[in-house]
Amino acid sequence: MKALLIGEYRQGKLLDTTYELKAFADRLGADSVMLLVGSDADLPKYEGRLYLADAGKYGEYNPDLHKQLVLQAVEKENPDCIVFVHSSYGWDLAPRVAVALKAGQVSEIVALNDGAYEVNACNAKLRRTVTPKGGLAPSGACPLAVLTIQAGAFSPSGEPQGAPQLERLELSGTASAIEFVGYEAAEQKGVDLSKAEIIVSAGRGVGKKDNVPVIAALASALGGELGASRPVVDAGWVDHSHQVGTTGQTVSPKLYVACGISGAIQHLAGMKKADFIVAINKDKDAPIGEIADVLVVADVMQFVPAFTAKCAR
Amino acid sequence: MLVVVCIKQVPDTTQVQIDPVTNTLVREGIPFIVNPYDTHALEEALRLKDRFGFRVAAISMGPPNAEATLKKALALGVDEAILLSDRAFGGADTLATSRVLSEAIDRLNRQEQVGIVICGKQTIDGDTAQVGPGIATRLGYTQLTLVDRVEKFDPFQGRITVRRKLEGRHETVEAPLPVLLTVVRELNRPRYPTVPMRLESEQATVQVWSNQELQLDQNGIGLKGSPTWVSRIFSPQREKGEIVGDGVADPAGAAHLLVDKLVSRDLLVV
Repeated sequence: MKALLIGEYRQGKLLDTTYELKAFADRLGADSVMLLVGSDADLPKYEGRLYLADAGKYGEYNPDLHKQLVLQAVEKENPDCIVFVHSSYGWDLAPRVAVALKAGQVSEIVALNDGAYEVNACNAKLRRTVTPKGGLAPSGACPLAVLTIQAGAFSPSGEPQGAPQLERLELSGTASAIEFVGYEAAEQKGVDLSKAEIIVSAGRGVGKKDNVPVIAALASALGGELGASRPVVDAGWVDHSHQVGTTGQTVSPKLYVACGISGAIQHLAGMKKADFIVAINKDKDAPIGEIADVLVVADVMQFVPAFTAKCAR
Repeated sequence: MLVVVCIKQVPDTTQVQIDPVTNTLVREGIPFIVNPYDTHALEEALRLKDRFGFRVAAISMGPPNAEATLKKALALGVDEAILLSDRAFGGADTLATSRVLSEAIDRLNRQEQVGIVICGKQTIDGDTAQVGPGIATRLGYTQLTLVDRVEKFDPFQGRITVRRKLEGRHETVEAPLPVLLTVVRELNRPRYPTVPMRLESEQATVQVWSNQELQLDQNGIGLKGSPTWVSRIFSPQREKGEIVGDGVADPAGAAHLLVDKLVSRDLLVV
């Protein structure tokens, strides 16, 4: 089985998620080749063939041109599947490629499951197993499969290594209907919770805005970041850039401490991939208890200061 | 110029339940709603109608009861509502779905030139985000996904400038019509139907197009035209956690136990 991995490059840098593509191919037991529209200045550590196209010429993302580049690599390699990260890049590009090839697409794969791909459904409340007809990657045949993987779902097992065997890709023209005008930073210079190893989140159970610093103090004692549930953000207690959940950020820290968060589906969807979840809640039957590894049944404002004191000793 | 909005009837996923015995979706009694992202697509189309007087058509593929979804669109002010419904369309994955929708748009285009197609960024039941782009590719329209703002629109020059919402930043791009936009919630705040409009929509007709009208090859639609299939739907399981200490009577004692637990798992160094 051969996978064509589509690496990602933004604002002059290779994105780390590129390595997750290789981790996914390894889990699939597939050989791989990679395509990157990037630059020689920042090449991935990769053992294998890398089709490199110049981002200076074809844009960091020009949908028309990047589609043509992918199709060119497909023609050269005849892969069984094409794998993207389910980022805004893969989001936009993968379905274009799939329809151009009349290929089946499976979006945002979170796990491999006995000959099928596991994907989220119904706002991550449910999982579906989806299979391209003919197997995970129908060998050498059309329809091949176009796949996007959830960022963070397939972590590389070790440090990536190797030097790619470069092969340049060129298009005959660079004409495109879409004209790139510019980038603009998001309005809220936000906290990137997706990379945080420890997150301590405040929920409605903290009671009032004045209590939020108590939760923030625990976050800092643990060396982590402050997160928040939607009601707390909607009430204006914490800035939206800290929101965890379907309308905020999706996180996968090593440790997630939910303080006074009952566990609405939308919140759980954003944090349930944490390795270890501690819930502090006065209701032992709150939904958060269903997914927490450890539950402390307590009043948040009584327990958290005591906990912070022990952590900081 | 015609503006086309693609909408889908979806189960209200905040109320979706799983049968604990069979671990499958309980379908009875789940209310259907218009896919929330699609309501923002509708709103944007109606704003173009308000500003430029364009006609707006809403289309949806689904079973006969999806007519209710299109009635809601009529109540908001769309001029034409078309339900694409046929047993032959059933069981379709995203590739087969985009085949039917793009054919319907092409058919509308023959009556009045389509300038903009607007879709939600994804549905809340399928979460695939493939159908909008699929339509754009099939029709050869310029595809602009994840749009959170229409910066400039000049129907006379036939150009549109939009801002796209990416990870931690925005990107502004300009493109010629016809375009297909997929939109995020930040784009606008959808209006509510007025009472007279809602009453009027009760009487309005939703056109139904079957494959009799579209004349698509059976091999490209429905189950046959779908290269992927869903084998199982289930609820992800996680073991319920243990309760540590007595946080109400003895917060300090419980804190001590919790610290020990985190230290033993190498999550905390004290």
